[in-house]
Amino acid sequence: MGDQKIGMHGMTDSLNWKRIAIGAGLLLMAVYPLIHGDPYIMHIFILFFIWSLVASNWNLLMGYAGIFSLGNIAFLAIGAYTSGILSKNLSWSPWLCILLGGIASMALVTVFIGLPALRLSGIYIALLSLIFADSLPTILTQTRSLTGGAMGLHDVPPLFEGILRIHSYYICFALFLVMLTIIYRTIHSATGLAFVALRDSREFARSLGISEYREKLKVFALVSFLTGIVGGFYVHYLGDISPTTLTIEPFLLTIAMMEMGGIGRFPGAVLGAVIIVFGNEFLRLAGTLRLALLGALICAIILFFPGGLMQLVDWIDTRIAARRRRAHG
Amino acid sequence: MTLILHPGRSRSPQATGGSIGRCTIKDLLYALVSGLISGSLYASMALGLAIVYGVIHVFNFGHGIVAVIGGYLTWLLLSQTGMGLIPAVVCMLVMMFFFGLLIFKLTLNPLLKTPNWEFSTIIFLLGLGILLENLTLQAFGPRVKYIPPFFEGSLKLGFLRVNWHEISIIVIVLVFVVLLNLFLKRTWFGKAMRAVAQDMDGARIVGINIQQTFGFAFALATAVTGFSGVLLGTKYYMTPHIGWDWMVKGFVIIVLGGLGSASGAIYAALIMGIIEAYVTLLLGSLWVWPAWFVLFVVILLLRPQGLVGGRTL
Repeated sequence: MGDQKIGMHGMTDSLNWKRIAIGAGLLLMAVYPLIHGDPYIMHIFILFFIWSLVASNWNLLMGYAGIFSLGNIAFLAIGAYTSGILSKNLSWSPWLCILLGGIASMALVTVFIGLPALRLSGIYIALLSLIFADSLPTILTQTRSLTGGAMGLHDVPPLFEGILRIHSYYICFALFLVMLTIIYRTIHSATGLAFVALRDSREFARSLGISEYREKLKVFALVSFLTGIVGGFYVHYLGDISPTTLTIEPFLLTIAMMEMGGIGRFPGAVLGAVIIVFGNEFLRLAGTLRLALLGALICAIILFFPGGLMQLVDWIDTRIAARRRRAHG
Repeated sequence: MTLILHPGRSRSPQATGGSIGRCTIKDLLYALVSGLISGSLYASMALGLAIVYGVIHVFNFGHGIVAVIGGYLTWLLLSQTGMGLIPAVVCMLVMMFFFGLLIFKLTLNPLLKTPNWEFSTIIFLLGLGILLENLTLQAFGPRVKYIPPFFEGSLKLGFLRVNWHEISIIVIVLVFVVLLNLFLKRTWFGKAMRAVAQDMDGARIVGINIQQTFGFAFALATAVTGFSGVLLGTKYYMTPHIGWDWMVKGFVIIVLGGLGSASGAIYAALIMGIIEAYVTLLLGSLWVWPAWFVLFVVILLLRPQGLVGGRTL
């Protein structure tokens, strides 16, 4: 996957190689279940769709809006738990529950992190969101009758009766496309430009009449809503969720996806997710050393390869441009 | 970040707690004493964070594992080489100091020169923390380890009964804080650290080597944190994962005290220790974490600059 997306730099075609690579990647994802359709690999693909969306949302918050949130897994967990509990206990339609899960995530996050964060900056938001995510498992174990406590929530109904993995695959693929489009449009909208302006020079942005509070709240609401929705799909696909989702491992995996792809670059988190989700399956062979390797990977990327995969893409771009210039004399 | 609560090895009766109606004056007094004890432990642990943030303006997200490594090193020296407690602690302090210096020179120093340093140092230290945590796990296994108490027996004051060990912890932390204060105020390196913390450009103008001071501060903080790990290991138990909980508590403490203020961290640690003891007594130990979160939000909303805001180190 990753190789297809970035490995086409040999082309001297006048067409943009990146567009071709993205098209080829999407085409592969669209037809994979039809031409090969191994259930295990489809499962990994679904996980890739889900986690790449979590990482892309996080990247929108952290890379573009410059808000150091460390609690995005909690957004996912709130959406997933809300949706799971509602559809299991009240037997409402999972689709409605997913939407409600997104709204619940948006409401809780905006009240507990977004509003305090309006007065705070940098490191304080990082600490607040980390401690927010950290206190959730305690709350979950305290409300055992509703959330299943430490054992987690089981037997969450699927999206519809008799769903097959291929259905889940295409549903998650559609979610992947829709949500990436929303994120892309947000980045390139006035809001996205405002984020970039605020991140690069707050005074300049303010002098242009950008309201920092409004933009910050907007991005918190959007990111927590979208991540909550992803959480809903996650829980209805897997059928169960437990407080282990909030442990260090998913958190680190998502951070690694963003770092690997390149912080603050749009498709970066998706590229990172390709490597991390598929690589993680191989890493299972390393057993207990897996987390150590993951930590080492994050350190190594930051020290030696700070721009991530997007840096590689840029490098290929400059090489192609240089070659073309030489060819034209 | 697994959130399992650690009621600890505390032998005070407040560990069971959880009933508002049944607590007597005696319980309340016990809670106060045990809050002071855990508060002084937290103070020793939060100092390292405050020093690093105060001087380098880096938030050490790998702080917890440093304390754990300090505890484990001491345990190793005690159990494998048959050293006495004091030589083992001194050995550990020297090793941790050079370990900190090495980490700073090899990784943080180049990272601080990059444009996005604030963000990359956080993620880097987080990754490093996980790496070290899991290496510790590989080396020592997941079993719980204890460091034996410094003194046996207990002191009886009327109906109040306090272990000598816990009294010694309070005394050690007090002496330690006084020594650290003397170091910061009287020695050349300490003054250089404070100068860098207060005004980096001014410090550079009067000829202080910033890089060297940064490295020294990080190494000192690593040694101090390692020492706090020893104290924590005698009071509670140690596993490779427990560093996270200590670290998150340390975060709340130094925010309450004012980021980068060493004296603020000490006051805040005592306050939080006592609050924690009363929450455990009145609501039960499961409410300790939500209480820390709620307090943290309240602090941030009411006084984000902390108790002693504005002053550095």
